[in-house]
Amino acid sequence: MSSRISRRTLLRGAAGLAGAGALAGCSSDGNAQGSKAATTITYWDWYASQAGWVDNEIKLFQEAHPGIAVKKTTQVSDKYADLVSLAYRSNNAPDILMVPKSPQLSQQISQSWLLPLDKWATDSWQGRFPENSFVEGVDVFSGKVYTAPFAAPAPSLQLYVHHGVFKDAGLTNPDGSVKLPKTWDDVTSAAEAIASKSGGKVAPFGFGNSTNTTLAWWLDLFVRGAGTPGGAAVGGIDGMDYRVGKWTFGSDRNYLDVINLLLEWKNKNWFYPNSMSISDEQARAFFERGRFGMTVGGVWNQPEWTKHKFTDYSLVTLPTPTAGDPKALFYGPPGGKFVAVNAKTPHADEAWAWFDWLYSPDAGKRWVEQGQGLSVYAKNNDPKSVTFAPFAQYVAMSGAAVVGPQPTIRNPKVSAVQLPGVKPDINDVLAGVYTGQLKDPQAALNELTDKMNQALADAIKKAPGVSAKDFTFADWDLTKPYTTKPGA
Amino acid sequence: MVMTATVREDVTRAEPPRSAERRRARRRTYLWSYVYLAPMMVLLLVFVVYPIVASLGYTFYKWDGIGDPSDFVGLDNFRQIVHDSIFWRSLGHTFVYAAFVVPVQLVLALALALVLNNKKLRFASFYRTLFFLPVVTSAAVIGVVIQLLVSNFGDSINDLLMKLHLIDRHIDWLGDPHFALGIIILVGIWHTFGYNLVYFLAGLQTIPEELYEAARLDGAGRFATFRYITIPMLRAVGVVIVILAVIGTFQIFDLVQVLTSGGPFFATEVVNTYIYHLAFGGSNANAVQPDIGLASAASFVYGVLLIAFSVVQVVVLRSLAKRRGTGGIA
Repeated sequence: MSSRISRRTLLRGAAGLAGAGALAGCSSDGNAQGSKAATTITYWDWYASQAGWVDNEIKLFQEAHPGIAVKKTTQVSDKYADLVSLAYRSNNAPDILMVPKSPQLSQQISQSWLLPLDKWATDSWQGRFPENSFVEGVDVFSGKVYTAPFAAPAPSLQLYVHHGVFKDAGLTNPDGSVKLPKTWDDVTSAAEAIASKSGGKVAPFGFGNSTNTTLAWWLDLFVRGAGTPGGAAVGGIDGMDYRVGKWTFGSDRNYLDVINLLLEWKNKNWFYPNSMSISDEQARAFFERGRFGMTVGGVWNQPEWTKHKFTDYSLVTLPTPTAGDPKALFYGPPGGKFVAVNAKTPHADEAWAWFDWLYSPDAGKRWVEQGQGLSVYAKNNDPKSVTFAPFAQYVAMSGAAVVGPQPTIRNPKVSAVQLPGVKPDINDVLAGVYTGQLKDPQAALNELTDKMNQALADAIKKAPGVSAKDFTFADWDLTKPYTTKPGA
Repeated sequence: MVMTATVREDVTRAEPPRSAERRRARRRTYLWSYVYLAPMMVLLLVFVVYPIVASLGYTFYKWDGIGDPSDFVGLDNFRQIVHDSIFWRSLGHTFVYAAFVVPVQLVLALALALVLNNKKLRFASFYRTLFFLPVVTSAAVIGVVIQLLVSNFGDSINDLLMKLHLIDRHIDWLGDPHFALGIIILVGIWHTFGYNLVYFLAGLQTIPEELYEAARLDGAGRFATFRYITIPMLRAVGVVIVILAVIGTFQIFDLVQVLTSGGPFFATEVVNTYIYHLAFGGSNANAVQPDIGLASAASFVYGVLLIAFSVVQVVVLRSLAKRRGTGGIA
């Protein structure tokens, strides 16, 4: 018996392997499975709870474009920026991708990551967007369009109220509806009622801070209501008070007041005890099960709860220290970013087709209908067309988010300012204060403020044609949309 | 001595092979040694030496990992690391982790190895496999499972402990800075305990049975046998186990990253997670600009500290060995 392999056997084996490989290739391609499309484009996002909307759009897109298949990869959100960076370094970047939050968009463009879209994004295409949607330094760089806004400005955080817990605590109006807290005192009173009526079995508040982000959401939501426009945002120049062009964690009294309020609640054992170690997803599930009565989060909570048929909740935003309207709102830039096309894609036309589809008014309409958020197209955001009560509440509060100052419009050179990360950041400081490791919150806030302002000053020195004045908008009225004038 | 001298004499008296032939034979022998060593050397050069040399270059730049480094900052990164209290705190946590894990793990592993080495023990292989299982399980998987257990059943664990009057308040095991590192240490002990168990078992099996028989005949009890036979005979392998265990604990990363990501407020940050967070932009989901230069400087400083620690460790072990008169490293 010969142990040698004949050429025919070898070829047969190779053919078998190739066939198996082809089959494996097809089976690993979730969205493009069984597709006979001539071109497959790769698409990356971090949309987990929004996956239903994306998958449906891919299905509809492929039906409308039989020659193109979209292979979607959803990456873990907190590692998305790293993965995109690594993909570019290894020449494996997708054809089209959600724009990562880091590095700054200007840097992604200077590194030739993204394709200018002017060939397709003509004036008439841009015309379907609201006015001021394409802004230099936001989605346009050196006069070229790279991405576009997808969602309308909306309150990014809300206080969610569990109806069952509130009703059990007797927190109802005479008509039987749940008494929603509007002020800090209302929230405190509601918490007191929950704690005493449940005998400590149900926590008034809860959050999931395992990724070290959600505790800052509480600070953000409450300080804005008190009139602090920067909130507690982290990353880039977010979180700055543009009235003075600086971070004001140490000098704005609202920060310390809210931190003291949170500590007071914590010392009364009103927070769900495992809040610092559970994830936001776990906190979402625990809220659903009524383990705590109030939590802070975004509209992304809602699709997940709807999937589990949990709809018995309400939401409020920007609770204020005393009765009245919030003294500051949520702010976004004019324009915006969502997806962009890889500069090195061999399938630019196909990638554009998918880009165009995602930005279509119809896709935006389905986005709103599915309760994912607000669309950049105002006609899609009519509260009357929304039947689901909690999402209707969210749509109705869209006035709590307006366009804020945008330094890059006044001086496009500002987009060259590369602000290094400052550690410990506001999330770290809050975790330190909450866990008792930082005994003096005011000192910690002062130190953070100094470090961040120093980092900005250092970054400005390295950016020619930029000064600290570029970040100051002294005439900003916090309760109204702000129009930044070029070169003013 | 006499025999050895005679043999040497015979060798010198024999016709010496010609030097060229001898060289060729030696080369042939060495060549094969080099061939066998080559794959390991290539891997070492590519994955150990090259990154060390390359990262040394990055230490002089402010660089976020995108494009080529161009912002030369000299020794600023080193200055920043040396003055960063979080770095020293992380280093402290790493040493605390090692200080608890190594001795506890070694004592437990030795005790269990003695039990499992008993020839009369039934199902010894089954127990061995059972204790080794955590080692072959990914630290990431263990971390996720422990995190879920603690968060989902944390209430029940707390209730039970409160009923037993062991604690007087609910504890967030991974979110409380007083307990989080302790939990990581406990999980760390359990996770890699199997390695040391197997090493000790292997060491125990090299001890000749005759020594124990002779001791028994001389009337030695169990403790005396352990004290005067097992311990001295395990000394050489024991030193290797200690060194490996110390090196292993200084490499702690995945368990911390999955369980706490170094939090809350750096209460469980170890040097490797500290470096990772610098290199990949923050310890959370926020977009914080990564700093490869600073991370490289931190790696370099940590490397130097570890080399210094290893040198001290070897010197101490050598001096102890000399004092005992055993020679060699042990």
